[in-house]
Amino acid sequence: MGAGIIEQERFTCALGAMQSVVAIPKALPILHSGPGCGDNVSEFFSRNKGYAGGSTVPCTNFSEKEVVFGGINKLRELLENSYKILDSDLQVIFTGCTAGIVGDDVASVAEEFRDQGKPVVYVESPGFKSNNFVAHSAVVNAIIDQYVSGFENESTFRSRKNTVNLFASIPYQDLFWKGNLAEYKRLLEAVGLEVNILFGSESKGVKEWQQIPEANFNILVSPWYGLPIVEHLKDLYGQPFLQYPNMPIGANETEKFLNAVVAFAIENGADINELAVRKYLKKEDAAYYAEIEELATFLLEFRYGLPGYVHIIHDASYVLGLSKFLLNETGVIPKEQFIVDDTPEKFQQKIADELQSISEKRDIEVFFLPDAGRAQEKIKSLSHRGKGLIIGSGWDKKLADDRGFDFINAALPTDYRMVLNANYVGFSGGLRLIEDIYSGTLSKFA
Amino acid sequence: MAEKVLRQIAIYGKGGIGKSTTTQNLTAGLTELGKKVMVVGCDPKADSTRLLLGGLHQKTVLDTLRENGEVELSDIMKEGFGGTKCVESGGPEPGVGCAGRGIITSIGLLERLGAYTEDLDYVFYDVLGDVVCGGFAMPIREGKAKEIYIVASGEMMALYAANNISKGIAKYARTGGVRIGGIICNSRNVDRERDLLEAFAAELGTQLIYFVPRDNIVQRAEINRKTVIAYDPKSAQAQEYRNLAEAIDKNTKLTVPQPMTQDRLEEILIEHGLIDAEEYYAAT
Repeated sequence: MGAGIIEQERFTCALGAMQSVVAIPKALPILHSGPGCGDNVSEFFSRNKGYAGGSTVPCTNFSEKEVVFGGINKLRELLENSYKILDSDLQVIFTGCTAGIVGDDVASVAEEFRDQGKPVVYVESPGFKSNNFVAHSAVVNAIIDQYVSGFENESTFRSRKNTVNLFASIPYQDLFWKGNLAEYKRLLEAVGLEVNILFGSESKGVKEWQQIPEANFNILVSPWYGLPIVEHLKDLYGQPFLQYPNMPIGANETEKFLNAVVAFAIENGADINELAVRKYLKKEDAAYYAEIEELATFLLEFRYGLPGYVHIIHDASYVLGLSKFLLNETGVIPKEQFIVDDTPEKFQQKIADELQSISEKRDIEVFFLPDAGRAQEKIKSLSHRGKGLIIGSGWDKKLADDRGFDFINAALPTDYRMVLNANYVGFSGGLRLIEDIYSGTLSKFA
Repeated sequence: MAEKVLRQIAIYGKGGIGKSTTTQNLTAGLTELGKKVMVVGCDPKADSTRLLLGGLHQKTVLDTLRENGEVELSDIMKEGFGGTKCVESGGPEPGVGCAGRGIITSIGLLERLGAYTEDLDYVFYDVLGDVVCGGFAMPIREGKAKEIYIVASGEMMALYAANNISKGIAKYARTGGVRIGGIICNSRNVDRERDLLEAFAAELGTQLIYFVPRDNIVQRAEINRKTVIAYDPKSAQAQEYRNLAEAIDKNTKLTVPQPMTQDRLEEILIEHGLIDAEEYYAAT
């Protein structure tokens, strides 16, 4: 990143990580920020409600008076009032830029309430500090340190050998987060594990968070974001973690992912029936390829109308996962790829290598651009043989239209797609994505 | 008669150098010349008007704002010696909130409440020692105070501070039209102090506008919560402050300061014997 104008950010400031709290059943984010911050952030996300998200989020409306005198008293009052109105299980205070600059001692307020037995956590999340990809980890770690720690019992650390904590999609930032997380849980349970999924409708809320220390190990599905969480848990509870660099989409990757998890689980003393796992995978595999076979006639007849290559504008986990799936399972060739999640430099080479590892024959060039506007500029100047496909946010639709490409809206911000609990992860996710690709193609013939 | 021009003056200088004392004694001198003066204390300690009021101002702008939510001019403006209008901006509790923004808030509030009346000849902003953030540069930003005087003495740190403050003034001179009117020496009886201050001021592109000699009567007057002019109008020191007031009233030399490099500043200090040359070069 350098100086200059950023045209299109596909993420938010650190305050956007309030959505991670919105995603925990019956948890309440509390904003110690200016009145517009929460609105701005929640508008970015297509769906933002949860238990108390969107316009329900309490906010101190930090303005001049709070800047001059400090806003601690107002925050205290807001917290107290929130108990009168909402029956929440966990309250997480987020500080905005102004509170961060003025230096309000929010930690002491949270502590004060905790001393009275209230489940209050605070996170320093001024927007100038980081974005929501980074702040998501800060939120999770803050909840672990300030809330989960109250339920710790050293003798039970890692006591449930078949239980894992899973960290993958960032709630709401991943358009398919709810469906994806539910699918991870379903898949992992199918191979004999119990899963603390922590966010979304499949989560048991704070009860589940309280059991984090008891899990045997952790799974991180991401090439970089979320890493501070599993590293922190390793330090705290000695839980080892398995890092899988991309979301597993389709049969190939899902099997690879589940095999890696099973091997890691067994290595760490989990009781897994390997025979049952193999049976399960075989069954899912057969069902998956039976569907693919259904496509044969369509693929033959439409062979000149199908997309031949793809540009993906997304976060690192998606770019890797989608590229692997598209090349190996649909034959759509990944050309220049654009990772727009502001990946820290130290992870970039490894991600580029991972992407290149998909194919020995082709160079897959990847650009790390926190400004997706620059990705669009780049795509405008590129030209390849055949028909292109763009997978990106709603903001990329016009570019795809202008270039005559097919288009799938699979990232935020999105204006053209309603997603509730659809998933791209897993066997079913791969099929779902194939439906989306070819529905897009077919719609051109309408 | 020419239309009256309001002169808005900010007084800066190292902490403890005597800004508040000098400002209030100078104000007392100006009132004797028939001038109408308002003093705005811009320091959370709120002790900029104590000598004019005969005691600490009880209601600062920010205290009133915090307690009442709203402010009326009569709550915060008190009349002091010679009809001076006295206001203290005040600040938040130490370690809480942003005092700099507090200064901005209270000056904005004074304007809205109509404190800047047409009969005023002078408004003085007495700003806390170190301009720690943008808030404390407020009086010289946005063209509030166009004229700056820096209180200094022949001590090294006072001159360091004065040079640093000049950097701030030079910065805002480009956009806001602020100028330096001179250096006021509040003497500490250092050897060759007047020469040093004159050389320093000349290097800075300004003037030593007045040399206020050291006299213990100032402390005695302070203990009695009075300016020297009120405490002992016939004393020699009272006359010194009258002279300072006259010098400032007549001053037309307003310049853009040319702050010097650290090396040049140290050279001047060596030339005037404030730093021992041999020791200095041995150390560097």
